[in-house]
This record gives sequence, structure tokens and C-alpha cells, in this order.
Amino acid sequence: MTMTTPLRAAAALCLAGSLTLTAAACGDDGSTGGGSEGEGAGSITFWDNNGGVRTPVWKEIIADFEKAHPDIDVEYVPIPINDVQSKYDTAIAGGGLPDVGGVTTSYLANMVAQDALEPVGGRIEDGSLKGVLAESMTESVRAAGGRGDEMYSVPTSANNGTLWYRTDLFEDAGLAPPTTWDAFHDAAEKLTDKEDNAFGYTIRGGEGSIAQALDAMYGQSGITEFWDGEETTVNAPENVAALEKYAGLYGDVTPEADVNNDFVKMVAQFDNGDIGMLSHNLGSYQDHLKAFGEGGFAGLPQPSGPGGKRVQVSNPVDGLGLFKSSDNKGAAWKFIEFAAAHEANSAWNESAAQIPANSEAAQDAWVKESARDNGAFASLTDGSTEIVQLPYYLPDWNNISKTDNEPAFQKVLLGEMSAKEFLDAMAEQLNEARAEWQEQQ
Amino acid sequence: MAQAVARPPGTARRRAEDRRGGSRGRGSRRLPYLLIAPAGLLMLGFIAYPMLSVFYYSLRHYNVTKPWRDGFAGLDNFTTLLTDDPLFWDSLAFSAKWVVVEVGLQLAFGLALALIVNQTFVGRAFARALVFSPWAVSGVLTTTIWMLLYNPATGVSRYLADAGIGEYGTSVLSDTGTVFWAAVLAELWRGVPFFAILILADLQSVPRDLYEAAAVDGAGRLRQFVHITLPHLRDAIILSTLLRAVWEFNNVDLLYTLTGGGPAGRTTTLPLYVANTGIHGHDFGYASALTTVAFVILLFCSILYLRLSKFGGDNR
Repeated sequence: MTMTTPLRAAAALCLAGSLTLTAAACGDDGSTGGGSEGEGAGSITFWDNNGGVRTPVWKEIIADFEKAHPDIDVEYVPIPINDVQSKYDTAIAGGGLPDVGGVTTSYLANMVAQDALEPVGGRIEDGSLKGVLAESMTESVRAAGGRGDEMYSVPTSANNGTLWYRTDLFEDAGLAPPTTWDAFHDAAEKLTDKEDNAFGYTIRGGEGSIAQALDAMYGQSGITEFWDGEETTVNAPENVAALEKYAGLYGDVTPEADVNNDFVKMVAQFDNGDIGMLSHNLGSYQDHLKAFGEGGFAGLPQPSGPGGKRVQVSNPVDGLGLFKSSDNKGAAWKFIEFAAAHEANSAWNESAAQIPANSEAAQDAWVKESARDNGAFASLTDGSTEIVQLPYYLPDWNNISKTDNEPAFQKVLLGEMSAKEFLDAMAEQLNEARAEWQEQQ
Repeated sequence: MAQAVARPPGTARRRAEDRRGGSRGRGSRRLPYLLIAPAGLLMLGFIAYPMLSVFYYSLRHYNVTKPWRDGFAGLDNFTTLLTDDPLFWDSLAFSAKWVVVEVGLQLAFGLALALIVNQTFVGRAFARALVFSPWAVSGVLTTTIWMLLYNPATGVSRYLADAGIGEYGTSVLSDTGTVFWAAVLAELWRGVPFFAILILADLQSVPRDLYEAAAVDGAGRLRQFVHITLPHLRDAIILSTLLRAVWEFNNVDLLYTLTGGGPAGRTTTLPLYVANTGIHGHDFGYASALTTVAFVILLFCSILYLRLSKFGGDNR
């Protein structure tokens, strides 16, 4: 046989093999199309950005909406939270965006930069949502969009960092709830007994680790601003020392397997083992309730740092976006107004254990009860906490806080990189990203 | 002055037939092209277009979150990845190690299992089904099975710690010294049946009289294996190792779901790096350049392998 056959076989193999790779880079020019207002009736598609966990409550809201608007049919599409951004990016590049979609401020700037979302400030002013959305959340949405005062999503809820702890383990050890960072470190050490499979804390080392590390870092350093002039404060000496202390927890008072922990693994570790504390947000309440029942656990706001001051980083604000490419914006906007109105917003947030954006919903009895039972619920709005605003408006923020630095943070945990090296590199990326963003303003 | 030339009888009739025959001939010559046209169009649409698209974007700056940077990049992306991107070289080196170890071990175990289930014994059908069953399991399900086995709270390490072996709260996936072999084992479980199936199919076509003749000549089982079985399997082994090497090089599903490329980038293959750069990092221009380089490497290695192995040659 001549060499022609092997050459042809090799070429065919490589062609076939390259298909999976080529798919990653296929796309058009990102045009999202102009869309149209439509007739205010007909069919619309809604993408839930946290499908699965929130599916039941959305189905209820959609059923109520369709009863109130029998001429509008909502097609519900649940998207897993970890995939939602890539799904949006793929749809922006290749077509197939929904009419309405769940959008949080953590990736809002990316979508605005791709010209995918319709400005909604005017619609809010002209409609039933005027004056009923919490001012702090509308400000967060404006800032995260990065286009001046314009809003590109309707805020529906806010989250807050929470220190969840096992009340039974604390009582057995004779420990008080850890309201300061010193008490937190002390409790983590006392609750750890590796020989008996007991650990004081579980740390997030995998996907989503950076925001949590920044939260612990600013909380301990007491620095309240993310920027000092043109430069970020992430690598300030106080922050370096705080991150060293936080990363030092790994392996000493946490399971070593935590280096790979994403949200799911971390919550599963806490809910299935003998682990004293977990830092997450209000959203994992239902998981803990299922695992421990009422009274078996409790939530606290971020511990206080130097001088009794409580500092934490901003959590993303969730919202609903109206897509430019929609051919039925009239009907889509009716759905957004319905979902952000008092009744639906209250039902959704009660189910998700989060803070409603609708100020009328925020006065409901369940909100007051939640605030009484869990300090983290109230600490966002009671003036006890200073918030370090993370720069969600930077188009590079998601890369810097995920793709670029999560593997590097794992190196810090494993002792292969110092906290200072890690934070210096991150600061350089942030300063460059901010300078580039400012050039484009 | 033109002279009249006497024509043989029937010439005009034959010319008319030729004309009719010519038109039929042209039609029959077009027929094969028409028949393969649908396949050709599909290949153009699903292979040529995506590939050309990747080559095109590899020469551009194209980051969907930074439209102001978009434009012609020339060879900038290639220069960066070759001279200023340690992650590219790290992921390429890991891909090479992954392919060599995976394909080598899968071949060895697949060959051994094929030889075993090719024997006649009670329960052979059940044994064959058992050997081939992992191939029927989807990649994500395979990962789930192995993640449960490696889980520090409910997996093997927990029971070993209960028995006093090792420590609580550990996982082979979180230890930089063991994560590679833990991932290799999971992929091995899935990949071995592929070799076993292909090799078993070829084993069954070896003429029995060759073994009988060798036995009469005094050849033992090892000599029969080396001089009869292996030469017969040669082309099947070359083709299956090449196919598997390409698939393992492009492996994304298992490593993505099992380790996410970590910890600390220890299990990031080149395709995983492409996925992170393109899908999560939104830098499709640079991801396209990485893809183009991966394609060239695969093409070069495949041709070299086929040349060196003299695939299809009659060397028996």
C-alpha cells in the first residue's frame, strides 16, 4: 500500500478530532438583532439562570402570570447556574437568545458590552415598578452595567454572605457563636479533631473561591474600599496578612479535599459531615434545613474585624433582563413587571431565602421573621455592615475573579505560591482592566 | 478541388448512435458526482466551514466582552502562545503525558482482556458483557461514579480512614501527587473496553490452522502469540491506538467534570485550556489560535505515526 492511504487516514482523523475543538471557536459577529415590541401577546421564552433549585417557584409564578394574562404563553427554560453565562454567550454569538432571562450583576457588564440587553430604565419609570425597587439594588444594577445611569436589568433580589454554623457542635464544645474573626479562628481550631473526622471549617478552594476569599480578606483587614485612587487595595499589606491567615486554615482545620470545593461540594461536605462552620450566602438555607432540621444550624453575618467593624464584599444582585433581540418585548416586559411586583417577588424570595428587591415585599412578615432568626439577613440593611463594592462593571472582572485566578488560589492553599505573589498578580490585572475600561468610557 | 471520399456503408448510422451514446456517457459520468454531492455538501458545512472559521478567527483579536479590541491580529496570537504563554506549554506537556499513559495502559489491558475472553470457558458470554459494559456508560456518568468513589466523606478514602489507613478529609483528587493517576484510572476503566472489542473482533479472524501448525512444530503459547497473534493484530492495533490517541488528546468531558483541570492546573489538557479561554474567558481569537496549533500537532503526529508504523503495509 502506498503512503496515500495513511495520509488520507491521518487527515480524516484529525478533521474528525478537531471538530470538538472547532466548536469552541465557531461564531458569527455577535449581532443580536434589533427585535421588536410585538403585540404584547403571544409566546415568550424565559431562561431561569438558576434552574433546578428555583424551578418550582418559577413554575408557580409563571402559572399565575398566564392566568392573569391568558393571551401570553411563557416557555420556561431552566439553565444550571454554572452554565448560564456560557449559554448566554453562545446564544449571543450564534442566535437563540430568550425574550427574558435571569441576569446577575456579576456578568451583567459582559452582556451589556455585547449589546445583548435592552435598557430598562425608561420602562421602569413609565410602568408599575416606578418607585418600588430598593434603591441600593437599583444602584448596584446601574453600577454593574457600566453605562452611566442606565439600567440593563430589573433587580429582583439580593444575597448576603453568611457564616453558617452547627449549633449542636458549638454547644457540645461550649463555644459561643463566632461574632468576631478571632472567635471564628478559635472555634475552628477547637472544633477540629482530625482523628475523629471532625473539622472546624470547610473552605472553598475550587470554582467560586475568589469572591469568598476576598470576603474573608477584607472582613479581617477592615479595609472598606476596593480602589485607592487608580489602584486596587487587594494587595495592601493588611489584606496580604489577612489572606495568609485565611489560607492557613486549609489543611489545619479543614479537610484537605477542600482544595477542589465548589459550591456543591462545599455545601455537601458541611451537610454530610462533622464540620463546624461554612461561609456561603443565604441561598444554601434550604440545603442545611434538609440536613439538620430546625435548630440544628444557624446563620450569622460576617464576623467583625478590627475595632468591632464588620466589613464584607458586595454580593451580586439578581435580576431579570429584557433581550434586544426579542420580537415580543411588550409581552416580555409584562412578564418582568409581574415577576418583580410585590406578590411574585415575595414568593420567589421566600422560597430562595433571599432579600426582596421590591420594597413592598420587603415589609412582609416572613422577611421580618428571617431577619430576626438570621443576622445575615438583616445586616445588609441595618447599617451594621460596610460593603466593599466589587468591580462587577469591569468586563474583565469575571475572568480575573474566575478563570485567571482560581488555579492560582489553589496554589496558595497548597503552599506553592505566597499570598503576596497571588495578590500582587491579581492587583496588576485589576489595575490594567480598570485603566482599559476607563479609556472606553 | 475536393475529392469525394467513399464512405463505408453504415457510417452515418454509427455516427448518430455515437452521438446518442456520447450524451448517455456524459450523463453516466455525472451520476457519481451527483450521488456523492450530498455527502460533499455535508462535509463542507460541518467540517470545512468550522475549520476555516477557526483559522480565520485565529488571525484576529476577538473577545466578545471587549469589542473595541476586535480586529486583524496577524500572527500575534500565535506569537503570544509560543513565546509568552507558559499555560500553553504546561497544558501541551500534560496532554502528551495523558495520551501516552492512557493509550499505552488501555492497549495493554485491552489486549489482555481480549485474549482472555477469546478463550473458551464456562460463563464466557457473561465475562464478555462485563468487559464491554463500561464502554456503554456515558462520560458524565463515568465521572459521577468515580467522584463518588473518590469522595472524602462517602468514598473509599473514608472507609480506609475508618480502618486506620490514611487520614480523614483527604481525596486523591485534591493531592497533586495522586490526582493524575486517579484521573488515569477513571479514564482507563472507560477506555479499556474499546481496545478489547476491536482486538477481540480481529482475534476471531486468525485462522485456527496456523496455531495447530505451530503447535505441531513445537511452538509454545508465547511463541504463538508473538509470531502469529501479534502480526495478525498489527493493523488493528495501529488504527485503534491512533484513534484513541486523537480522542484522548481531545478529552474534555471526564477531566472537566472530575477535576476541572485542577488542582492548581495540574490536570489541564490543551483542549481544557481552549475551553477555559474561549468559553469562560470569552477570548475566541486566542482560543482559535490554540485550536489551530492543536490541529497542526495532531495532524503532524498522526502522519508521523502512520509512516513509522507502515500502516496498511504487508509486513506479516
